Amino acid sequence: MVNVEYLIVQIIVVIMAAPLVNGIIKKTKALSQKRKGAPVLQLYYDLFKLFKKSTVVSDTTSWIFKAAPYIVFTASLVASLLVPVTTMIDSVWYAGDLILMVYLFALGRFFMMLAGLDAASTFGGMGSSREAMISSLIEPSILVTLMTVGLTAKSTSSYQIMEFMKGVDAPLIRPVYLLTFIALLIITIAETARIPVDDPSTHLELTMVHEAMLLEYSGRSLALMELGASIKQLTFITLLANIFIPHDQFIFISGAGAVLISILIYLIKVIFVSILIAVAEVSTVKLRLFSIPNLAALAFILSFIGFMQHFVLGR
Amino acid sequence: MEFFFDLLSVLVLLSSFVLVSNKKITAYIKTFQIQSALIALIAGIMGWSIAVNEDKYDILIICVIIIALKVIFIPHLLYKTYGNIEYRVEKDFFMNIPIIVLICCGLVVFSYFSVSNIGSLTGFHINHQVVNSLSVVLIGFFFMISRKKAIGQIIGYLVIENGIFVTAMFSTNGMPFIVDIGIFIDMITAVMIMGIMVTRINKKFESINIDKLSKLKG
Repeated sequence: MVNVEYLIVQIIVVIMAAPLVNGIIKKTKALSQKRKGAPVLQLYYDLFKLFKKSTVVSDTTSWIFKAAPYIVFTASLVASLLVPVTTMIDSVWYAGDLILMVYLFALGRFFMMLAGLDAASTFGGMGSSREAMISSLIEPSILVTLMTVGLTAKSTSSYQIMEFMKGVDAPLIRPVYLLTFIALLIITIAETARIPVDDPSTHLELTMVHEAMLLEYSGRSLALMELGASIKQLTFITLLANIFIPHDQFIFISGAGAVLISILIYLIKVIFVSILIAVAEVSTVKLRLFSIPNLAALAFILSFIGFMQHFVLGR
Repeated sequence: MEFFFDLLSVLVLLSSFVLVSNKKITAYIKTFQIQSALIALIAGIMGWSIAVNEDKYDILIICVIIIALKVIFIPHLLYKTYGNIEYRVEKDFFMNIPIIVLICCGLVVFSYFSVSNIGSLTGFHINHQVVNSLSVVLIGFFFMISRKKAIGQIIGYLVIENGIFVTAMFSTNGMPFIVDIGIFIDMITAVMIMGIMVTRINKKFESINIDKLSKLKG
């Protein structure tokens, strides 16, 4: 049973808002460096242009290279359906929960790594092996964090968790939610290839991770890959914003107006979290690849201590 | 009120974990500064409520001393020592950092089980503020033995001191004034002497790796 209105609203909001996050982060970074920066809507123009261009495919590649962009994009989009942008519409989505979301992203990432290896360029291979390392390090932290939040709400479905969090008064001053919030922020930065882990603005440098796998792509395939990555980023930001900063309990009307107001407040929260990520990105430097385990260990420990604080110490 | 103390004790614990997972000396000093500021905030809130209820101002005075000493003076002193020496990043540890962080996590679990057996401290429920601050003491110890260089060990000592102070604050609602002042004077003397020592070791051996001190044996 799936609510059709929910699907339509969710897909439209996610696809329309996802490139905005990149624009805001880039603009904030540019302003902090006293530059004017590209317009906030730059990624929309880029994607629009890329969709009109034709694709160049290397002769030596197999079907994986052509199929990967569609798989990555679809996996991201389906995973983003599991994290509702507003709880005003009943999602009636019993088919999956946050664990499915994590592994749908892992599926997309797996095909992205295969495609990076497929063209047999040195950069692609390097990017794939690094991505494999980072993702295997960060995956335990994601699961422990989401499980901790899920255990407090007694459900792993994100809709149920958001419903539960509406009833919690001021979540961010409680130790368990504060710690899991910080852990999830670190995870978001690592998952979406942001600066302490990977620099999204580098091309053709020896340190790149995510860009290295996309190096062979052009035209529509590149656009799908980019859009998939930004949808993934928006999904993690949605988790941060809607679980830890719930807002729907303050809307007392119902119907279409309530959904509209709820989505507007949601967009404001997304902008706020994007600025938070941009500030984190400006104030740190990129870590060495072999220092990333430290960051992953910190994220894991934070969520574990959050778990301890709630379930063992009883707060 | 209780919620704020919970939150602040968790943040102090968090800052000690950030300290453990760092490598740069400037990051050590900055994290220590933030941790001391959090402790000053705890002392400030506690001192304010005691000043309002019982008309005693000693904890507020201690809060001011903490700000002057641990947030401003000692970090300044450490930055000066740092300027005098050669190295910038700590390179060799006895273990790698993820394992150190995991062991520190084990220390938190250990301090939970040890505190839960102290009957007079716990009463009905576990006093988790004491658990958190006791873990800070243990993490400080572990930080001290996991670093080979002298500045890391000074920071470890200061973290132990912070942990002991917070444990005392949470378990007794403020120690006698004269005890706190005594501890502070001890600490500042120790840090100054250690700062001079670090500079001297650096001059003598052109490194502050304490392994080289074993050359002194006859």
